[in-house]
Amino acid sequence: MTAVIEVAGLTRHYGKVHAVEDVTFEVEENTICGLLGRNGAGKTTLMRLLTGQAFASAGQIRVFGESPVENALVLSRTCFIRETQVYPDSFRGKHALRAAERLFPNWDADYAAQLATEFNLPLDRRIKKMSRGQRSAVGAIIGLAARAELTFFDEPYAGLDAVARELFYSHLLEDYSKHPRTIVLSTHLIDEAAKLLEHVIVIDGGRVIINDNSDALRGTAVTLVGAKSAVDTFAVGREVLGTDVLGGISSVTVAGLSPADKAAAAAAGLEVAPVSLQQLIVSRTRGTVQPQEALS
Amino acid sequence: MTAVAPTHSFTRTHRAPVHRIGATVRIHVANPWTTLISPWLILLVVFGLNFAIWHLVLMAAGDRGVEADAFHYNGGVSWIVFYMVVVAVQAMNQTFSFVVGLGATRRDYFVGTSALFAGLALMYGIGVSVLAGVERATSGWGVNGWFFAPGPFATMPLWEVAVTYTLVLLFMFFVGSGVAAVFVRWGATGILTFFASVAVLLLATLWAITQADAWASVGHFFTARSPLELALLSLPLSLVGGLVGYGLMRRATPKG
Repeated sequence: MTAVIEVAGLTRHYGKVHAVEDVTFEVEENTICGLLGRNGAGKTTLMRLLTGQAFASAGQIRVFGESPVENALVLSRTCFIRETQVYPDSFRGKHALRAAERLFPNWDADYAAQLATEFNLPLDRRIKKMSRGQRSAVGAIIGLAARAELTFFDEPYAGLDAVARELFYSHLLEDYSKHPRTIVLSTHLIDEAAKLLEHVIVIDGGRVIINDNSDALRGTAVTLVGAKSAVDTFAVGREVLGTDVLGGISSVTVAGLSPADKAAAAAAGLEVAPVSLQQLIVSRTRGTVQPQEALS
Repeated sequence: MTAVAPTHSFTRTHRAPVHRIGATVRIHVANPWTTLISPWLILLVVFGLNFAIWHLVLMAAGDRGVEADAFHYNGGVSWIVFYMVVVAVQAMNQTFSFVVGLGATRRDYFVGTSALFAGLALMYGIGVSVLAGVERATSGWGVNGWFFAPGPFATMPLWEVAVTYTLVLLFMFFVGSGVAAVFVRWGATGILTFFASVAVLLLATLWAITQADAWASVGHFFTARSPLELALLSLPLSLVGGLVGYGLMRRATPKG
């Protein structure tokens, strides 16, 4: 495996705000990596640093083995689509696609046209006059059709309806399997995107708090539901990520259970339910966990 | 010999710098309205108004007629000159975040934009001179009116008119690119600070000239030189404007 992104000790301060704080991680070639975290956690800043648009206060960034800052060889292989992607005021949809064709060496114009039809995008309309969802669709189309070896999507579907989001996910997966590349996807809709993500990096307060394979991550925690006394007894001495009590029924999210532990919990009359990626991340980023329905 | 299989399905990864720079130029003119169409349209409107006014004056004068050089001095064409600052600021402010945001280097963006500005200066310089040629061929649009090459320009050979316009327009573009760079880098606060500083500097210069009682020699500096000579003197200033703009852009961050 080759790392496309290597980051070590990366820090970015804006005055007293530590947007990114001593971050170290790698992203492997040809994976879809989720960059998750709460608003203001530092996701966008991190992506701006990785694409040479913002400047690091300290630490090292290597993309394709080189610093991305003002590096045409790195940047021409990279595409970054932001939530608040800006377009020149005078641009219509077709101008944006034409511009992208000039900027991205692997641009597939036929694919872009096909996507525009599927997303119902009015290419002759000024982007300024488009709805939020339509504007997001322009970004999503550019990000997909650019076929950049390294593509960053920062909340690419603000304002897109559920149908359009599904369309985006299925195209992303399909095109990714036809043209393997490295995709970093930042999103709030964790459960929706979970099926796409092979690897997950969670940042909170500018620091990486989770950096793991998403399958491994899902197995790291379960929710136990049962009578409060039984739950409390079982939870003693274990790593409890969150607790929820309703009447005499208690549910706890517990990390680090072995299969034997799970069997023991079931034997003690507790329901053992898997935790979704979203629940796990919410609990790890200082929220409370809602139990998922037990699988029968 | 065994062929080495490509490691991935991407083949056209690298492009020559000239292509990357050309991409910026094309994006500027993807919608040609701001840079290519609106300046001509507005210039033609200004000319149309002047043309109408000439006829109005002739009509009012009736049989008495007007003095031979009544329509020799006209500043209407300077409108396109100053408008180029606006074109430059608009073009850069509108496209920087888009082009660099999508993954071009600031260097490629700036070189591409400068190339576009040089091309535009040449195009408008030659265009205005061609119109000045028509103006001469028609003896001032039939009414002895001089709009495109008025006053001191009227006696210059057309090529000199073209070179002068091109140089002055180039200067305006790079003034514009400097101003745009201040805005892109520091936003509205930067622009306010910038213009306040310019005003203070200007006032200080006027103060110094007055105190040194040097207005006569300042006047002489300008009257002793032909428009072309003065335009040539703007070249180093344009270069400084460009370098300052690039220096500021190097550390600018795309919005959004």
